[in-house]
Amino acid sequence: MDSIIPQLLTGLAGASSLFLVASGLTIIFGVTRIVNFSHGSLMMLGAYIGWSILTRLPREPEWFVLGIIATVLATAVIGVLLEVVVLRRVYRAPELFQLLATFGVVLILQDVTLWIWGPVELPLSRPRWLRTAFDVAGSRLPMADLILIIVGPVVLGLLWLVMNRTRWGTLVRAATLDREMVAALGVDQRLLFTSVFALGAGLAGFGGALSLMSASANLHIDLAVITDAFVVVVVGGLGSLTGAFAASLLIGILQAFGIVLIPKSTLVLVFLVMAVVLVFRPNGLMGRPQADAREALVAAPVVRPAPRELRLLSLATLLLAIVAPFFVGDYYLTVLTDACVAVIFATSLHFMMGPGGMASFGHAAWFGIGAYAAGLLMQWIGAPMPIGLLAAPIAAGIVAALFGWFVVRLSGVYLSMLTLAFAQIVWAICFQWVELTGGDNGMLGLVRPEWARDERVFYWVALALTVAVALLLRRALYAPYGYALRAVRDSATRARAIGLNVGWLRMAAIVIAGAACGLSGALFSYGKGSIFPTYITISHSVEALLMVLLGGLQTIAGPIIGALVYTGLADILMRSTDLWRLVLGAVIVLLVVAFPEGIAGAARRLWLRGREA
Amino acid sequence: MLSVEELNTHYGRAHILQGMALEIGAGEVMVLLGRNGAGKSTTMKSIIGLVRPSSGRIVFDGHEIAGEEPHRIARRGLGYVPEDRRVFADLTVMENLEVGKQPARGSMRPWTPERLFELFPNLGRMRDRPGGRMSGGEQQMLTIARTLMGNPRLVLLDEPSEGLAPVIVEQMANAILALKAEGLTILLAEQNLHFAGGVADSATVVEKGRVVWSGTMAALRADEAARTQYLAV
Repeated sequence: MDSIIPQLLTGLAGASSLFLVASGLTIIFGVTRIVNFSHGSLMMLGAYIGWSILTRLPREPEWFVLGIIATVLATAVIGVLLEVVVLRRVYRAPELFQLLATFGVVLILQDVTLWIWGPVELPLSRPRWLRTAFDVAGSRLPMADLILIIVGPVVLGLLWLVMNRTRWGTLVRAATLDREMVAALGVDQRLLFTSVFALGAGLAGFGGALSLMSASANLHIDLAVITDAFVVVVVGGLGSLTGAFAASLLIGILQAFGIVLIPKSTLVLVFLVMAVVLVFRPNGLMGRPQADAREALVAAPVVRPAPRELRLLSLATLLLAIVAPFFVGDYYLTVLTDACVAVIFATSLHFMMGPGGMASFGHAAWFGIGAYAAGLLMQWIGAPMPIGLLAAPIAAGIVAALFGWFVVRLSGVYLSMLTLAFAQIVWAICFQWVELTGGDNGMLGLVRPEWARDERVFYWVALALTVAVALLLRRALYAPYGYALRAVRDSATRARAIGLNVGWLRMAAIVIAGAACGLSGALFSYGKGSIFPTYITISHSVEALLMVLLGGLQTIAGPIIGALVYTGLADILMRSTDLWRLVLGAVIVLLVVAFPEGIAGAARRLWLRGREA
Repeated sequence: MLSVEELNTHYGRAHILQGMALEIGAGEVMVLLGRNGAGKSTTMKSIIGLVRPSSGRIVFDGHEIAGEEPHRIARRGLGYVPEDRRVFADLTVMENLEVGKQPARGSMRPWTPERLFELFPNLGRMRDRPGGRMSGGEQQMLTIARTLMGNPRLVLLDEPSEGLAPVIVEQMANAILALKAEGLTILLAEQNLHFAGGVADSATVVEKGRVVWSGTMAALRADEAARTQYLAV
């Protein structure tokens, strides 16, 4: 009994802070259908702005409250700016491009925050009244936890009132169900969207400011929080407030107890809960099946073989790539090797995402598994590089099959979130299982055999493998299997009706994509000679998404072009400016606004237009 | 009151409306007849702005509205009742009506929930029932009532009799006649010629996205050939 009550209280406090962030995210998603990656950044800004305001105010409780209110208003205003400047321009873009744009915002805000507040963590020196604690059932309950425990349900209650007792709330709920109809009834959606965004951002800011009671403002809040918030929102059911609250409680309490019972597995535990919930309730605890997207009137263009000119161009590029090592220096040679890895990384994701219609947010998982498979084999039995390169795709493919069993049941955002969860599990294992993987220190000393030690030779190996993978994936796409896969993407029901085994087809796509990606992971590790858990971070998964979406989903050349452009862009930016995230983020946002169909898609459209005219 | 000229609308590459045209005067009830896929619903969606026409003119009350945002068009006094009802399933009857509410305009008596419950007595007995838990006929009444809450001067009614029991269709016809008596202008899309004959003054027959026949309802009744050619299934 002794340890249950304090853990429960800690869990409740944790649940409240989760709910503050998740509620905003879920409301915003409900109305705008945008999965807002930058929601965590809004919370981070809330923490920093809160710090700036609160450190300048007197330390009495009433000033504290006032400071929090000011912070909430400030983040709400930032939310409005964000909506008006960026999101408003991408509502008509495909879902994934919206996501990409919000990730661009994440990058921008990271650098802006760093620029304004600097890299040092900023703790709030807590006033005396905040340091008091209460005696609850024989254990100490800190004031901060008490405040959080009260705030969560109060916010839920207020939100419920607003949603159910005001015209604005009624309109918001109606728009969540069918926003086109709401517009046809004369409601200005723009106003509705902007105000919803302001509310969501304000809630995130509130959560950020309150987090200062027990933690300091730091630059890692954004991605840490957004992962947790995604999990909560998905477990609760997208768009459902009560669902988000229930899921916050579940996860908050689970985390509090998990850390006592099995300290090493908290991260795994949270994502495991999500996976289990989604398998039994594919739309979350209180979610409903997603209404058919009423706007989706225009079918995705058919993937067609590249025009002859493009083939000649590719051939020329390939020849150039083969002879490149004779002309470039060592540095650019490694950049070129990285580009090969990126091409495999991106094309493998494209395979399951474009033709397969399954947008994975956790593609880096297979990359990491491939890398660690090669690394472990080397450590255990001294397996040389060829064995490692062979084992990596096999290992990644097997794990992909395991995860795929869960993943194929879902679709859309839920699928994306589950893949994110799986990647986080893999990351957590690699990060926390120090005995096996070396944890944060990584695995070092992954050596290449004598013949491949020369950077040029290794580059050619990488290039050959890249070309082979790209051609194989292309072959699969134009085989009957590829047609069936696209049929499943376009309509699972109709595909089922003509006798296609939907689950199996999707599973095969996941395994193929996973295996190919695993190869890229191993290749990358042999290139660098070391393996780190960072290979599996969200940012790395998002990089894959970026490459694919930059290039465009509707062409096979797309992911290749995207990977090359992204690698080049990232390399140039990182070497030329400290604010590379800011620039990269801005480039992403601009690209999404200008070319919602990706670079290759836009090029193709312009090309075709030139032809037809 | 509303005139549509040379309207062309595409869904992707499919050319749905191919020079659609119609003209409806104040207080008139016009029916848009035609087989499945003739372009009746697309005409309505193009007028209310849910589908952006690729070319052509839509003039409502002297204002060119083609290409405007749906909510602006709606606020000009154009109401739209979709074919598949689209009631907000989680919202109660009263909340559904609230979403449709817009300030009164023009000389017509503003609609209130109470007045609408006189028109559709069934709805008044289920004010707190969620839209998703109503029968098809009740949903159809709710969707019309919801649009009327916007106090429109012209209503686009897309197949209000579709899939309803004969008794309900009868009630629907009476309701439309009552609305007509209020002075409301109505553009009705229908496949049910019998139903249309009971309420409409004039008819426009569409086929493959263009008008193939137009005239008064009486003239259509007399024109056996046109009816067999364009409407017989």
